[in-house]
Amino acid sequence: MAYRDPILVIVELKGGNDFMNTIIPYTNGIYHDCRPIVGLREDEVLPMNDTLAWHPNTVPLKEMFEQGDVAIVQGIGYPDSSRSHFRAMDVWHTCEPIDIGTEGWLGRVVRDLDPKGENVLTGINFGKGLSRALAVSGVPVTSVDDLDNYGLMTSIKEDPKRMRAIEIFKTMYEPAIGTGVVMDYLSQTGLDVIKGSDKLKMAPAMYQSDVEYGSNSIAKALRDVARVHLAGLGTRIFYTQHGGYDHHANEMPSHPKLLTELSEAIRDFFQDLRNHNASQEIVMLVFSEFGRRMRDNASGTDHGTGGGAFIIGDGVNGGLYAEYPSLDPSRWANGEDLEHTIDFRGIYATLLEQWMGMDATPIVDGTFEQIQPFKEVV
Amino acid sequence: MGRPYGLLRAGFPFYKTLGMRRLTNFPIDIALGKEGCLYILCRNRDASTIRKYHIDDKDLGTVGRGLTWAVAIIADSEENLYVSDEAKHCIMSFDKDGKELGKWGEYGDGDGQLNGPAGIAFDAEENIYVADSLNHRVQKFTKDGEFISKWGRFGDGEGEFNMPWGLTVDELGDVYVADWRNDRVQKFTGDGEFIFAFGKSGSGNGELNRPTGVAVDEHGDVYVSDSGNDRVQLFNSESRYVQKFLGDATLSTVAIEYMMTNAGPNRLRDMADLEPQKYFRRPGGVAVNGDGLMFVADNGSYRVQVYQKQAIPLTEEQFSAPRRSPTLHQE
Amino acid sequence: MSNTDIALMAHLMRRAGFGATRTELEDYAKKGYENVVEDLVEPERCDPIDEDILHRYFGSFEAGYVEKWMYRMIRSKRPLEEKMALFWHHVFATGVGKNQHLLASARQIDTFRRVGLSNMREILLELSKDPAMIFWLDNNENRKGEPNENYGRELLELFSMGVGNYTEDDIKNCARAFTGWTFAQPPPLYPQGFYDAKFVFLEEDHDDGEKTFLGHTGNLNGDDIIDIIVEQPACAKFISRHLYNFFVADEPQVPSWHVTPPQDPEAIETLSNAFMESKGDMRHVLRTLFNSDFFKEARGKKVKSPTELVTGILKLIGTYERPDPGMGKYSGATTLMGQKLLDPPTVEGWHTGREWIDGGTLTERVNFAVREVSDASRPGIAELINRLKAEGRALAPDEFVEKCLDLAGPMTVSDTTRESLNKFAESGGDLDLSADNGSEESTDRVIQMLQLIVASREYQFA
Repeated sequence: MAYRDPILVIVELKGGNDFMNTIIPYTNGIYHDCRPIVGLREDEVLPMNDTLAWHPNTVPLKEMFEQGDVAIVQGIGYPDSSRSHFRAMDVWHTCEPIDIGTEGWLGRVVRDLDPKGENVLTGINFGKGLSRALAVSGVPVTSVDDLDNYGLMTSIKEDPKRMRAIEIFKTMYEPAIGTGVVMDYLSQTGLDVIKGSDKLKMAPAMYQSDVEYGSNSIAKALRDVARVHLAGLGTRIFYTQHGGYDHHANEMPSHPKLLTELSEAIRDFFQDLRNHNASQEIVMLVFSEFGRRMRDNASGTDHGTGGGAFIIGDGVNGGLYAEYPSLDPSRWANGEDLEHTIDFRGIYATLLEQWMGMDATPIVDGTFEQIQPFKEVV
Repeated sequence: MGRPYGLLRAGFPFYKTLGMRRLTNFPIDIALGKEGCLYILCRNRDASTIRKYHIDDKDLGTVGRGLTWAVAIIADSEENLYVSDEAKHCIMSFDKDGKELGKWGEYGDGDGQLNGPAGIAFDAEENIYVADSLNHRVQKFTKDGEFISKWGRFGDGEGEFNMPWGLTVDELGDVYVADWRNDRVQKFTGDGEFIFAFGKSGSGNGELNRPTGVAVDEHGDVYVSDSGNDRVQLFNSESRYVQKFLGDATLSTVAIEYMMTNAGPNRLRDMADLEPQKYFRRPGGVAVNGDGLMFVADNGSYRVQVYQKQAIPLTEEQFSAPRRSPTLHQE
Repeated sequence: MSNTDIALMAHLMRRAGFGATRTELEDYAKKGYENVVEDLVEPERCDPIDEDILHRYFGSFEAGYVEKWMYRMIRSKRPLEEKMALFWHHVFATGVGKNQHLLASARQIDTFRRVGLSNMREILLELSKDPAMIFWLDNNENRKGEPNENYGRELLELFSMGVGNYTEDDIKNCARAFTGWTFAQPPPLYPQGFYDAKFVFLEEDHDDGEKTFLGHTGNLNGDDIIDIIVEQPACAKFISRHLYNFFVADEPQVPSWHVTPPQDPEAIETLSNAFMESKGDMRHVLRTLFNSDFFKEARGKKVKSPTELVTGILKLIGTYERPDPGMGKYSGATTLMGQKLLDPPTVEGWHTGREWIDGGTLTERVNFAVREVSDASRPGIAELINRLKAEGRALAPDEFVEKCLDLAGPMTVSDTTRESLNKFAESGGDLDLSADNGSEESTDRVIQMLQLIVASREYQFA
């Protein structure tokens, strides 16, 4: 384990990634029978072993796997999986598969890491709107849509004007005596925002790199993660999304494109950090709210259950973890889905306890089977 | 070819359903191409698309981009597509594969300017008539957008309009306008001379509630998409009410394919009252072709319903003289 | 009419509606406060919104419902109808995230709009028959012999009386009374889109046995339960406190109400009395509320909800006089600020008051408001500039601030805020909009002033 504070980077694949078309059971006849349209032929895929193969568009990820940096968590899910995107993401974000949860699991992590809320940058979300996973009432976290243009009143384009407006904003938000607790709280929050954005502003200025990221959204987001991480602002939890995985139709041209974007962005991200000697403290979890249906629907696949996740980093002991769900029709969930073989809360707990060195039970609300994907355990 | 003297109306049964949710979302109008091709204009909130489709229920993909609030689509003799956009106040054109050919029209109320263009139609010379909705008038342009003429103003008198929507031109060059907020259809000569109007507010036979689309077939029959009454009505060339279509849709081929891999929805269908599924919901444009097929953009149900006209032209010998009063006497 | 009248009218319209333009405020002020209250609580006195136009431009179906609703909020001449729909949406929080049936959720809001200003009995009856609610709280699973208590419990705890006013046995019997209240299976979303779910009462699933609820015994059905509830003083108090929290001043979050007394017990008493004497007639209770001194004195005592903030800005800039594309960005904006309409996070609804504010949501609120007021060609902004111009003379810096605060509200601000704004105004000297050469720069100064005003702490409050 690195001497630096361990850090988690979470990448959410939004829409339900087709895991069976990412890590492909290419020698299994049932796979080919079920997917006459969106299935990949045996001669197209990149074999990993006798039964599983990488999608041809995942070469960078496959290479990282071969270097031992990628743990593949097969069959991740939870009992009675919801096929609704919103509900399923809620479950993943709150660890509440039955009741409607209100607290995001990473929000709880941030609260444990920084109980007094001293650093508004302990948890950062990159993208539009805060992920539910980071939302816990009273826990300050930061959400950044555009790191190069982050902060208050960013629509004021002329810099001097904006600086002037922010100066006035600061004096307007000075705590005033006798205005009441809510007004005081508002003042504090306003000034915290300024503080956070002042710190974040340093990140792009300090950053120098030879790595050229792609121009898609996930590449941009991971570059932002790298820039903030390298600025050393004390961030422990980074969260971002890669959208577009909901391939009910037109899966064949779209899914491979996303896999290319994703695997190249991950490769570039780790390369960038390694160049700066700042990769050892990072572990990345890539997950999606569910996998997709066994059978294709002639142009795509519909919402399913069991999926897969990746745990990536220098500290990872690469390989296959948990079990690939059985393709045998008698074992299909709901008569049409891959059954999950490991509970996602166990994977969260694995990361929290074995990497972050935290007590996972209250965060994931229970104890679940864990895996051992790290070279060293804290 | 002239209009028949009379018609033996044998029937007008439902023929087939095309499309489904996700492929043909909120269809608002249809243009007919060649060799069974049709172009379904789909208006989904702030982005409209053209879905190229085959009458065998084959999806040929999306063609055309950059449309916001599209209202109507027509195809010229070379199968180039013209689309009106009431948010951008323009007419955009594309070739049949979706390549943008041009765009004309600007916001305003001067000659040749547009405010909320809706229905469009070609005449025989391929000039374009536009229902200039919020200017409450009809304007005539060349295909390239050069202003030719105009008529109409706000009101409910003859030749006046209240937010006209659908518009069509018959083979004789007469123009029909679905006068949306006046709940009627008006017919004009190509020069804008008022011929007649029919329809009034209501839900009885021949009455209209916010008519959207209008089409005319080779017999001179007029099809009116009576949107607010969730139906299509058929009027003869003299504007007499003939019959109404409430919708009789089945599942399209693509919908059946979809359902074959969806166990859950199949169970729900089995539990549900399916009767409402056959009816129109807020139909948009209506189009007819030379084979007697009527295509209706079933806006709220994500599909196109197709009906087959069965009518045999009658000669003077086969169709007795008009009579003024009804009779009980069987001749 | 005096400036005090305008300020009071602005307060009324922020609370009972979604804000108003200056011209609207002046028209209202001419009518007189009590007359305007009467127009608000008796919406039939004003024209309904043009449904034709909504259908034609925004579509007739569930897609874009929230945009359509926001358009109604800023355009309806019956703003209290929309505000009450929002009120009941806060109280009877039903999330489309669970039910996944956007049409049913949309219909629920339509129902709240239709019955929101009727009486409590009718409102609870419609609620209990609402398919989105039935599914949200599992009453479709509530059957004779195997009761599901979810709806029965929340009806008492969150929708009508609050914890402490009934026993666990009352919950059980309440749930039994609602057995068989369900909806007919609508055809699924694919392939033809949503179809309405319709309420049905299934005799065979209904428990016909004897039940005892709050001291009443008999073969009670759901209607009987509602009849009993609306006669309880606890119901009058609970709904009154909800109305106070929504229309007057922020109270603590609902779950703490049974241990934290109201900040103004007298006000709650007044409203409860109005409720009891009118048998839960919302018009009467709201008339009492808006005409009360405690309401008139409550300016700035509520943190604006994201919906109120966004619609308030839209009213200020006077945009969307007729439907145009792009309303979607406003429902997107409230979502980023923590309020996704139709999708409250839990059955408790949104946590309100200071809980609307955190670093992320404050950034969104400020940035949204600053961005939206930056366009001098928007009708509301143009009118505001014209009014400044109409002064016909140069304005000293403090006058400049004063006029802008007046026209953007009227708003009352703390000394800190005023001094900061003055400092900004002074840096540019007198504001002279009449001078030909300076007008572009002066317009720009007005825009910047407005940006600072809507970024202020005070602007976060209604």
